Order: sequence, then C-alpha cells, then structure tokens
Amino acid sequence: MSDITSPAGPDTPKAMQPDNRAPDDKDQKAKEAYFTASQSQLIWARFKANRTAMIAGAVLIGLILTGVFAPFLSPYDPTIRGRDKEYENGAPQIPRFCDHNGCSARPFVYTPERKRSPTTLRWVTSVNKEKRRYIHFFVEGWEYRYFDYSINLPGDALDFRIPGIAFDTHLFGVDNGAVHIFGTDHSGKDIYSRTLHAVYTSLAVGTLGVLISFVLALAIGGISGYFGGWLDGLIQMITDAVRTIPIIPLFMALAAFIPQEWSSETRFFFISIIIGLINWPTLARRVRTHLLTERNQEYVLAAQLCGASASHIIRRHLLPSFTSYIIVDLVISFPYIVLSETALSFIGLGLKDPVNSLGVMLQNVTSADVLLNYQWYFIPVIFFIALVLAFVFVGDGLRDAADPYADTKK
Amino acid sequence: MTQFLQFTLTRAVMALFTLLLVSLIVFTLMELVPGTCAERYLAFKNTQGQQISIDDIQAEERRLGLDRPFLIRWGGWVGNVLFHGEFGDSCILRLNINQLLGDKFWVSLAICLTSLLFAYLIAIPVGIISATSKSAWMNGTLRFVSYLGLAMPNFLLALMIMLFSTVFFGDSLTGLFSKEFRDAPWSFDRLMDFMSRAWLPVFILGWSATAFALQTVRALMLDETGKLYVTAAKARGLYGRKLLWRYPARHALGPIINSLGFDLNRVFNELPIVAVILTLTEAGALLLEALARSNDQQLAGAIIFLLTASIVTLNFVTDVALALFDPRVRSSVMRS
Repeated sequence: MSDITSPAGPDTPKAMQPDNRAPDDKDQKAKEAYFTASQSQLIWARFKANRTAMIAGAVLIGLILTGVFAPFLSPYDPTIRGRDKEYENGAPQIPRFCDHNGCSARPFVYTPERKRSPTTLRWVTSVNKEKRRYIHFFVEGWEYRYFDYSINLPGDALDFRIPGIAFDTHLFGVDNGAVHIFGTDHSGKDIYSRTLHAVYTSLAVGTLGVLISFVLALAIGGISGYFGGWLDGLIQMITDAVRTIPIIPLFMALAAFIPQEWSSETRFFFISIIIGLINWPTLARRVRTHLLTERNQEYVLAAQLCGASASHIIRRHLLPSFTSYIIVDLVISFPYIVLSETALSFIGLGLKDPVNSLGVMLQNVTSADVLLNYQWYFIPVIFFIALVLAFVFVGDGLRDAADPYADTKK
Repeated sequence: MTQFLQFTLTRAVMALFTLLLVSLIVFTLMELVPGTCAERYLAFKNTQGQQISIDDIQAEERRLGLDRPFLIRWGGWVGNVLFHGEFGDSCILRLNINQLLGDKFWVSLAICLTSLLFAYLIAIPVGIISATSKSAWMNGTLRFVSYLGLAMPNFLLALMIMLFSTVFFGDSLTGLFSKEFRDAPWSFDRLMDFMSRAWLPVFILGWSATAFALQTVRALMLDETGKLYVTAAKARGLYGRKLLWRYPARHALGPIINSLGFDLNRVFNELPIVAVILTLTEAGALLLEALARSNDQQLAGAIIFLLTASIVTLNFVTDVALALFDPRVRSSVMRS
C-alpha cells in the first residue's frame, strides 16, 4: 500500500535504475497499484508526500497518546488529592545528570526546602543543591483505573457501574519527596499531571461533540439534500436560523441551566452534548450541497429503478461517494470544538476545577500576577497551541489529499 | 427587472421570517435562564428591608404581564421591538434598555465588521498564495502565522500586549476612549481617540478570524484552479497573477461574500472575552455580564436580537449584491 505513486510522479525514475532487472515490470506494477488503489490508499499516498501535514500528524498522534495514557505518564494525581503541601507555586524542577558534585547516570532533581524566614516570618522556599532526588522509572504511585464507568441516570434502576481495571504503575517518580517537572500551582497540584489530564479531557469533549454533530449533520443534511423541494427549503431555513444565533450566548444560556449540584462527570457529558448540538449546521449544509448534485446522477436513478428505499440509497450509495470529504470536515471542525470548550470553561460556565480541561488550565493564567511571577503556569498553553495547530494542519493536509484534482493541477 | 424585484422581495420575506424564528429561539433561551423578572425586582426590595411573600411575587408577575402564555409574551416582545424599536426595561438595573445600550451595540458592530475586513484583507492574498504557490517554505510560514492567531488564546494575546505596552509605553491601552472623551458626544476628535484605541481589539479579533477565512479561501481556490476553464485560460496564454485574479479568484469570491453574515457571528463570539480583558465598554462585555453574572434576561435578549438582526440583514444584503454583480447568480435569478 505504501508504494502507490502517480505513474507520472517523481518516483517513476526509480524504475529505470541500472540495478533493476525488470524495469518494465516494476513500472507496470506501480501503474497497476495506482490505478487499482482504493480511494483511501490514494489519499494516504498523497498525504504522505505532504511534509507539514506529516509532522502535524505525528504531533497530533503524540498528543492523543499522551492524553490516553495520561494517568500512567503523570506521577501525581491531578486533583487536590495529589497536591504537594511542601511545594506550592513551585517552579519547574528540571532533571539533570551533572552538577558541581559530579555526574550520575540516573537523572536527579534538587530538594526544595521550606523555611520560615526569621525576619519576615513568611514561608520561603529555597533549593538545597546538596540533596539530590533521583528519578526512578516504572514506580508505584497513586491508583488509577481504566474502563471504569459509573453512569448515574435519573432513576435508580438505570444506574450501573463497570468496575474497570486498576493500575498503580507510573512512568517515573522519585524515591523520597516529589518531582514536578512543570512546577506546581497555587494549591500544590502538579502542573505536568494536570496538563496531561487536561489534554485527555479536551480531546474527549471534542470527540463526543464531533460525533454528535456528525450524526445530526448526516441525518439532517441527508434528508434535506435527498428529498429537496419544500422539505429542503424548510430545513434550510431552520439551519440558517440556528447558524445565526451567536454560539457563546447560546452556550451561556444553556450552561446557566446546569444545576450547580451536578457532578463534574455529568457536567462534562452535558457540555459535550451541547457543543455537539450546536455545531452541526455547517457540516449539514455541506452534506446537503453534495447530495443535491449527486442525486441526479445515473447510479442513483438505477438504484431507484431497482426498487431501493430512500434510506438504503442514502446510506449505501450517496454517503460513500463523499466519505473522504466528511472525514476532512470532521478533522477541520475538531479544533473549533476544542476552542468552544475552552472558551466556555474560560468564562467559567463550562467545566470546573476538579475536572482538568485545557479551558480550566487557561483560566488560571489570566492574572497579571501569574504573568509576572509564575510563568510556568503557561506551559499548558503551549500544549493547547500545539493541539490546535496540529489539528488545523492535519485537516489542511487531508483536504489536499482528498482533492481528486490534486494530480491534474501540476 | 420584475424578476429581480421579485427575487429581492422573496429574500426580504425570508429574512424577516428567519428573524422571527431566531427571535423565538432567543426568547425561549432567555426563558431558560433561572428566575423571572418579578423575582428579581422583589429580591432587590428584600435587600432594602421589606418583607416579601409569594403573593407579592405573583402580583408583580401580573403587573409585568409574566402570567400570560409564553407565545403571547413573545408576540408582545417582538412587536414592540419591530414596530417601536423598544426593548423594555432591564430588570436588574431597572433602566430602559435603549438608554442603557446607547451606541454601545453599534460600537461593537463596527469593531466586529472592521475585524472581519482585516481578516479577509490578509486571508484572501495569503489564501491565493497558499493554494497556488510552489514554494513550500513561504506557504508554510504564511499559514503557520495565520493559524497561530486561531491557536493562540485571544485573552492571552490581549494580556501580553497590555503588559508589554504598560511596561514600555506606560499606557495599558485598555478601554475604548480616553478619560476626557468617555461621556462626550460623538465628534471628530472623539472618533480619532476611539480609533487610536480600537485597533487593539480589531487586531486581536481579526487575527483569530483569519485562520477560518484562510481555510475557506484556500479550499475554494484549490477547487477552482483545478477546473477546466482555468486550463482553457492557460491555453490562451494567460499566466501568473493575471490568470488568478481574472478567473479563479473571482469565482472563489462568491461563496466568501455569501458567508460574511455567519463570519460576523463567529467574530462576535470572540468579542466578549477580549472585551472583558481590555475592559471595553461595549455590548459584548455587557452581554457576558448579563448572561454569566447577573442573569439579566431582558438585556441579554436585546443584545442577541440586535446581533442576529445584523447578521440576517448582512445575509440579505450580500444575497442581493451577489445577484446584482455575479452574472452567474444573476442569470439564474432571471431565469426562474
């Protein structure tokens, strides 16, 4: 699958190298692979040729893996349970191998010490460079669970709980005391652990939101585009009306509706659902426009004459004709959904503090105090920027790769 | 000509209908905000030391007409807005909303429209370069800078610029007017003062809007340059900038103009956060205040309604303008 290139593409001369015994044969094979390649293989081949998009893709996959394995990668619990009382608002501790006492093969950090200053009587943190804390790998720490769901629906009969699997191994940790490579916040929570969990939460909200808006857009756009006529007119008017309403006020009105006593998990689901419910119109419109042009094609007529039902034609014939466009649109709309979660949490109406989302993390850096004194609060912002940029560039790359005219243009 | 008039009229009726539909949605949303106006009035009286009973609340509700059915109240509200331009009183601040808003909404609208203009002034040339240029390096850099505007949180940018200018120029650049112009009537000097401060929100909003505009322009240009008429034009000997500006760029412009209304919506979404950080006294900040802090349904409803009315109007104007200036749309209008 990886050797698909356009027959006229830059890779063709390879077939004419002297050590190649059967140049014609190989050339023929490349051509054959190109002409028989499926749509997704063609897209992958074009995507691979785009260096920017490949880098962005690698960053994106890295971030997704970081998010999924956040509990394993983070040495401390990101909630208040994992706080370090000895090191509040602490600066990042950078692991090092060498110092004035010589080198060691195992990386280490220094021990911060907290003392009352004899003159001002305030707590002062100083770094003791003589005491090393060695970093160990695969240490045991706080317990975390995967596949652990407890759904609390209204009514006792609908509650259920999957116990999941518990782990307590973490990638790294120190033998005594604690290590905070991104520093700690005002209550002593480890910013590194929080950031990783925040990436996970933001991605999860985004995925859930994208999925919901995707299903809605397919259903509504599909009906509107396939049937046309007055139904289309009506649906378009409603779609336009929904698009006209400013999103943030809509969020705010709905978020004000959330009772304060809801647990953070329920809030999280509710917010994702709202985000999904609001973001469908753009995609629905694209689906509709495409269907309007496709439904007059002969293959649709043929299917209709064979007696296929409307839903069968939409599902089996029309939607596959532009799956690639839909995937591209989904990737493109993803950063905007992550951004809406951030904006909402930033205003204080979205997710709140026990949950770590990028929006909650961004909210912490708004004061001038942080800007001047605690610059390490900004580390999550870098993750946020990287996430959005990676998504946008991957989206652009996918768009170019899915463009059927891409090869004819050069 | 009659066909054109008919087209304009149909569009106008559709716009009005959309506006009514949106006003219904907005009105419903405002109902979702917990508490009613009557409760707020009396809660205030309660703080003044008066004893309040359920009967008082109900009497107040009757006085304000809150006991009438939902749809009738909506009809009354929309009627007042459309025929008298009256939004009623804010129930928290107990002031007439028209007085309260004053020119604030128009200031916000001007900021948003200017940001949009700024975004497209950058996005159109960059989008065309990015879709057609073969220099991967320039292409990548231009796109990176544009997308950074999207990825960089607006409030962070605002904070950084504020801090920077406070440290280096001794002026924090916050607010929309200097002290002496804050309550003065509009004049040339006040306008100049406004401009000297409004560039900052315009810059921040515009930069973050550039990314989406750029993605649209780029996608449209890529679609258009692959089409056969471009090949035909090339065969006739056109090339370079002349070819791009005369053929694909013009075609790509149509859908962009068409979506301006929704872009305005997007920009306005970003406005409240920037406005709060820069302490701008305009409608975005008021809206955030009304929704997130004081639950002032009346005020929030009025601002959202004004915004949606602007979007619907802009959509209508661009539709008609496209029918006037784009021969393809014109001919399809004339045929029907």
